[in-house]
Amino acid sequence: MKKIDLQQEGLEIKKACCYFCHQNCGVLVYVKDGKILHFEGDPDYPTNTGGLCCRGNVNLIHLDHPARVNYPLKRKGKRGAGEWERISWDQALTEIADRLAAIKAEFGAEAVATAGGTSRTDDWARRRFMNLFGSPNCFHNSHLCWIPTFMVETAIYGWSPFEIDLGLSRCIVLWGQNPGASTLPEMSGISALKEKGLKVIVIDPRYTETAAKADLWLPLRPGSDLALALAWIHVIIYEGLCDYDFIQENCVGFDELTAHVEQFTPEWAEPITWLSAEQIREGARMYAMNRPGNIQWGVAIDQQGKPAGAAMHARAILRAITGNLDCPGADLLTGPSQEFITDEEMELNEYLPEEQKAKQLGSDRFKLVTWPGYGRIAELTKKYWGKAPTAEWMCEAHPPTVYNAILTGKPYPVKALLVSATNPVNSYGESQKTLAALRAVDFLVTCDYWLTPCAMLSDYVLPIAGSFERPTITSTYGCSDFLLASQRAIQPLYERRTDFEFWRDLGIKLGQAEHWPWATLEDAYLYRLEPLGYGVESYDEFVEYYRFHFPERQYYKYKEKGGFATPSGKIELYSSVLEELGYPPLPPYIPPVENEIDHPEVAKEYPLVLTTGAGVMPFHHSEHFQIKELRFLRHEPQMEINPRTAKEYGIEEGDWVWIETRRGRIKQKAHLTEGISPGVVFTQRGWWYPERDMRDPELGGCLESNTNVLTSTVLEDCDPLSGTWANRGLLCKVYKVQDGAKEGNK
Amino acid sequence: MKHHEEGWGWMLAVDFFFAGMGGAMLLIAGVLDLLPGEAGTSLLGNICGPLFISLGACFLILELGRPFQAWRVFMNPKAILTIGAWTMTLAIGFGFIYASFGLDVFPWSKMVGLRKLCAVICIITGLIVATYPGILLGRHKSRPFWNGPGMMVLFLLSSLVTGGAAHLLSAYLFTSSLAGNIAGLNLTVALLLAFQFLVWLVYLWVKISGTTTREAVAARRWLNGEFAAPFKYGFLLAGTLVPFILLFFEQRGLTMVAACLVLIGGFIMRNLVVSSGNIDRTWLPGELDYRSRLPLGDEEFLRAWNNK
Amino acid sequence: MARYALVIDSRRCIGCHSCTVACRVHNELPIDMIYNPVTTVGPKGVFPHVRMMHIPLLCMHCDNPPCVDACPTGASQQRPDGIVWVDQNKCVGCKACVMACPYGARVSNKETGTVQKCDFCMERVEDGLLPFCVKTCHQKARIFGDLDDKDSDVFKLVNKEPSIRLLAELGTEPQVYYIYSWEV
Ligand code: SF4
Ligand code: SF4
Ligand code: SF4
Repeated sequence: MKKIDLQQEGLEIKKACCYFCHQNCGVLVYVKDGKILHFEGDPDYPTNTGGLCCRGNVNLIHLDHPARVNYPLKRKGKRGAGEWERISWDQALTEIADRLAAIKAEFGAEAVATAGGTSRTDDWARRRFMNLFGSPNCFHNSHLCWIPTFMVETAIYGWSPFEIDLGLSRCIVLWGQNPGASTLPEMSGISALKEKGLKVIVIDPRYTETAAKADLWLPLRPGSDLALALAWIHVIIYEGLCDYDFIQENCVGFDELTAHVEQFTPEWAEPITWLSAEQIREGARMYAMNRPGNIQWGVAIDQQGKPAGAAMHARAILRAITGNLDCPGADLLTGPSQEFITDEEMELNEYLPEEQKAKQLGSDRFKLVTWPGYGRIAELTKKYWGKAPTAEWMCEAHPPTVYNAILTGKPYPVKALLVSATNPVNSYGESQKTLAALRAVDFLVTCDYWLTPCAMLSDYVLPIAGSFERPTITSTYGCSDFLLASQRAIQPLYERRTDFEFWRDLGIKLGQAEHWPWATLEDAYLYRLEPLGYGVESYDEFVEYYRFHFPERQYYKYKEKGGFATPSGKIELYSSVLEELGYPPLPPYIPPVENEIDHPEVAKEYPLVLTTGAGVMPFHHSEHFQIKELRFLRHEPQMEINPRTAKEYGIEEGDWVWIETRRGRIKQKAHLTEGISPGVVFTQRGWWYPERDMRDPELGGCLESNTNVLTSTVLEDCDPLSGTWANRGLLCKVYKVQDGAKEGNK
Repeated sequence: MKHHEEGWGWMLAVDFFFAGMGGAMLLIAGVLDLLPGEAGTSLLGNICGPLFISLGACFLILELGRPFQAWRVFMNPKAILTIGAWTMTLAIGFGFIYASFGLDVFPWSKMVGLRKLCAVICIITGLIVATYPGILLGRHKSRPFWNGPGMMVLFLLSSLVTGGAAHLLSAYLFTSSLAGNIAGLNLTVALLLAFQFLVWLVYLWVKISGTTTREAVAARRWLNGEFAAPFKYGFLLAGTLVPFILLFFEQRGLTMVAACLVLIGGFIMRNLVVSSGNIDRTWLPGELDYRSRLPLGDEEFLRAWNNK
Repeated sequence: MARYALVIDSRRCIGCHSCTVACRVHNELPIDMIYNPVTTVGPKGVFPHVRMMHIPLLCMHCDNPPCVDACPTGASQQRPDGIVWVDQNKCVGCKACVMACPYGARVSNKETGTVQKCDFCMERVEDGLLPFCVKTCHQKARIFGDLDDKDSDVFKLVNKEPSIRLLAELGTEPQVYYIYSWEV
C-alpha cells in the first residue's frame, strides 16, 4: 500500500457519505487539489461510527470504474445496437425537451412517464418537474419497499411509526428483515442491545445472518405472514395480553377486531404458515409480554402481492393492541419535520391539475398509494401535522399498469419513459413484460452510472454523479423529523451531473424557469435547512459544523396534540380511511398468491414454494456486478434449497438448476442448506452479467438468472390496496440444467 | 470442488528429483571409492552427480517468484532451505572436483589421498542434499500427508535408488559388464527398491489409520483418489516392482531398462508428493467451502474488468 | 513494549465480508489475493434446529511463527511488538513460508513475484490508527489492541471471556483469539 500522509498541507477532509444503500454511512474523504487521496468511515457519524460495509469500501472504484457513463450519449444506430454519439448536455436536454413537448402536444402530458429506483436521487426534483409538466405518471418500485407499509400505517395511526426507540426496548420483532445483510449499522445496534437482554424475534423463511443471532426464529412458509399476524392478534387478545388502558383511551374498533379474529387461532394458522401452534404462541407472547417492544419493518410483506395490504394492517394492529406506540422504547410517531422544509414541500403537488391526477395509471384499481388514497391521507396529515408525506414514493402510478399501457395503448398511450436510477428489467416484476415495454416505448431516456440493459435500449443516456460527487440529505424518503447532511467531496468527474440538475435543466428548457430558483443542489438544500435557524451561510457550512439535526425526542405526542391524524382522531383498528376507499376496514385473510391449499392443480406442476427479493451482501438490488472487488465474493447467482428436497430432484451442491414458475424460468447455481425448509426455494435477486455482450438481444444476459422473470404482476395477484406485486410465496419447480443452454432474451 | 491453490509448483518437485538423485550419486560414488578396491563408478556418473544437483538448483531458481534475487536464499541460517542451498552449493563444487580426479589432464588426478578426502566431503554433502527435502516437508505440521519423519526416509530412499540407477545407467553406457565395487550396485538397488516398496505401504497404512482424519483423507487420495493410478501403476509397479525383478538378471540391457523405469517412477512420486502437500492442508473451519466458492481466475467478469 | 493481538467475537460477526473487501481495496490487492477470508460454518443441524457461525481468518501473528523460521532470505520477520511481516525487498517468492503457515495466511503476488500477507496494517498502527479490517467492521466483531496493556479491550476480553485459538495444538502460539458462539 502506498502510504498517504494525512497531515500534508492542502489536504481537506470532506464529510461525504456512501450512497450504496439507504443507510448513507458517513465517510471522511481526504481531498487535495480536487483529487481524492483516501477515504474512511466517519467515526463521528451516528449510524456507522466509522464502519463501512463491502459496498462502502468500493466507493473510489465505483467513482472511476472503466464501465461508468461519463458523457451524454445519443443513440446512433438501431435501438439497442450499442452505437453512441457523444453529445453535449445542452444538445441532449434540448432534444429531449423538444420530443417531450411534441408528445405532450399530441397525446397529453400523461403520455410521459418516469421510472425511478431506490434512493440514489433527489426525487422531489423529479416530482416537481412532472407536476409542472402535468403528468401524474411517476413511479418507482417502491411498492416493493416500505411505501405500502407507510401508507397503511398512516391510514391507521396517522403516521408511520418507523422510528424505533430501540435503546429502551425489551423486544424487537424483525419481520422479514435481515439487517445482517442489508442494514449493517442497524444490526450492530441490535447485537449490542441483545447483549444487554433485548429479545430478538426473526420471522423469515431463511436462516439468515440475523436469524442466526435471534432468540426465536420463526421460519414460516413464504407468503404466509398475514396468517401469522392474524394468529398473533388472536393469541394476544384471547390470552388477555393486550394493553387495555391504551386501547380504551386511544383505539376504535377493538370489539369488532375481537370478533373478527376469533376464527384465526394458531391451530388455524398451522397448516398455512408451516409453523406449529406452539411456535406461533411463543412468538406472540414474547412480543406482547416484553414491553416496550418494536416491530421493525422489512420488505418481506411489501413484496407479497395480494395479501400484502391486509398483512400490513394486521401488523399495525399488533402494535396498537399492545400499546407499543409512541411511548419510551416503542415505535414512535414522530410525524414529519416541523422544522426544515420536507421533500413534499419541494414537490409543488398543488400544480398538478385535478383532472391530471385522475388520469394516474392504476389509481382506479389500487387506491392507497395513488392520488385517491394519498390525497385523502395528505389532507388528514396536513390538518394534524401541518404537512403531508412525500408524494414521490407515496403517490405513484402503478408500474405494471404503466408497462401495460406502453404495450397496449390502454387505457391511453404512454409514449415516453424517463428512467432514473433504476435498472427496470432486473428490478421490476415480470421482467419479460418490462423488457417488452422498454423495447416498445417510443422514446426512452436513461440517467444512470452504467450502461444497464435499459440504458442500452435508450435513445439518450445521461451520466449521473455518484456518491462522492454530490451532496446528500438523508431523511427516510423525506418523512423523518431528523436529517443527516453530507457534502460532495469533489465536483463530478467528466461531464456527470446530479439528477437534480437533469430535472431542473430539462424543466427550464420546457418553460419552468421561474420554479427552479436554485442553481445548485447545495442552494436547494440550504433553502430547505434555513428554517432550522443555524444561521449558516452555505450548505457546506452546515455539514462541516453541524452535519445533522435531531429534534428533541418527544414521547406521547398524541396526548399533547389530542389524538391521531385519522378521521376519528383515534387509532383506527377498524379503519375508516380504508373503508372510505372501498377496502375491508379490518384485515381479511387472503391466502398467498399461489399456494398448495387453494391451487392444488398449480402445485402439482410447481410443487415448491419460492421466495426471492432478499438482499445479499455485497450486492444491492441489481447493482455492483461490474465491480470485481465485490463480485469475487459471490461471482455466480446462487439459489438455496434444502438438501432433502435437492436429493428428491437429483440436485447436488454447485449444479446449475432451472427455477421455473408459470411465468418463466431462470438458472442459478444450487446451494444446499439446512437453513431453509424442505419444499422452499430461495433465489438471489438482481442478477445480470455486465461483462457480456450488452447489445440487444443479449443485453448482458439480463433474463438468464434474473429472479424477476419468476415474479407475478398480474393485476389479480397484486395487493388491492397498494398494487404491490408478488415476489414471495409463489409456486415453482426446479430441475438440473442439462446442457450449457443459455436462455435467450427474446 | 475446485479452487485456486496457493503452493509449490511442479518445478520444485523436479528440483527435489534431480537434486536428490544427484546428491545420492555423490554419496554412492564416495562410498564406493572409500570401500576397498576400485570404485568403478564411471566418469560420466561422477559428472552427472553435481550436474543433476545444478539442474535441480536451476529448477529451484525458476520456481522462485523473483529468480534474479535467488542469491538471497543464503541469508537465514535457521531456515532449512538456506541450509539446503549452502549444501547444494558445496555438493556441486566438491562433486565436480571429485569428478575431475577421473580426468588425466588435471595434475591432481593422481593424488589419491586428496581424492579420498574429497570423497568424504561428497558423502556428507550428498547425504544432506538427498535428505533435506524430506526433512523440509516432514516439518510441515499442517500438511497432513507430509508431516512426520517418514517423509525423510521415503525421500532418502528415492534419492538412493534413483542415484544408484543413474550410476548404473552411466556405467553401462560405455561398457557391457561392470567391474569394481559398482558391480554390487545392481543388487543393492534391487534391495533398496524392495525396501522402498515396503516403506511406502507402511507409510500409507500409518497415515490412514493415523491420528487425524485429515491424514487419512490425504492418504486415501493415493489409494483410491486422483493420485491412485500414477502412484500404483507408475510408481509402485513400473517404478519399483518391475525394476526390482529386472535388476536381478544383472544383464546390461535389462538393467538399463530397469534404471530408466526407476527414474521415471521417482519423478512421478516426487510430483505426487509435492502436490499432495499443496492440496491437503489442515483446513480451518469453513475454509474449504469458502475457497471453493471463489472464482478460479478465468471467469468472464474477470477477463472483462481485470486489466482495466 | 506492546504485543498486538486481535480478538474476534464471532457472536457479533455476521459474515458480511466487509473486512475482506476493506483490506483488498486499501492494500490494493489483486483479485486472487485475500489476506482475511470470512468463512461460514453451518447452518449445522437439521432444519429448523440449526446454527451458524462466521469465522474471519487472517494471519495469526503467531508468537512462534513457523513462517519466519522457514524463510531462507530473512524477508519474513517478526517485530518486537509481535507483528509478523514480509520485507518486500528481500522476498524472493520461494513460498517456503506459504507452505509453512498452517493458517493459509500467506499469498503470492503474481505481479511482484513476492509473498505478501496481513501485517496488521502496521503503518497505520504506528500512526495510532486501527487496521482497516477492524475500522470497517460495523459490528465491532474485531477488537484490536495491545495485550501488554492491562486496560486494553483485548487484554480484558482475552482474560475474561472464554476464547479459543485456531490450531493452537501446533505450538504456533497464535495471537488472534476467537470468542465462539458455540463450539465447532
Ligand atoms: S452500502 Fe454499506 S457503507 Fe454504504 S451506506 Fe449502506 S451500509 Fe453503509
Ligand atoms: S467486517 Fe466484521 S462482521 Fe463483517 S465479516 Fe468482517 S469481522 Fe465479520
Ligand atoms: S499465521 Fe501464518 S503467516 Fe501469520 S505468523 Fe502464523 S505462521 Fe506466520
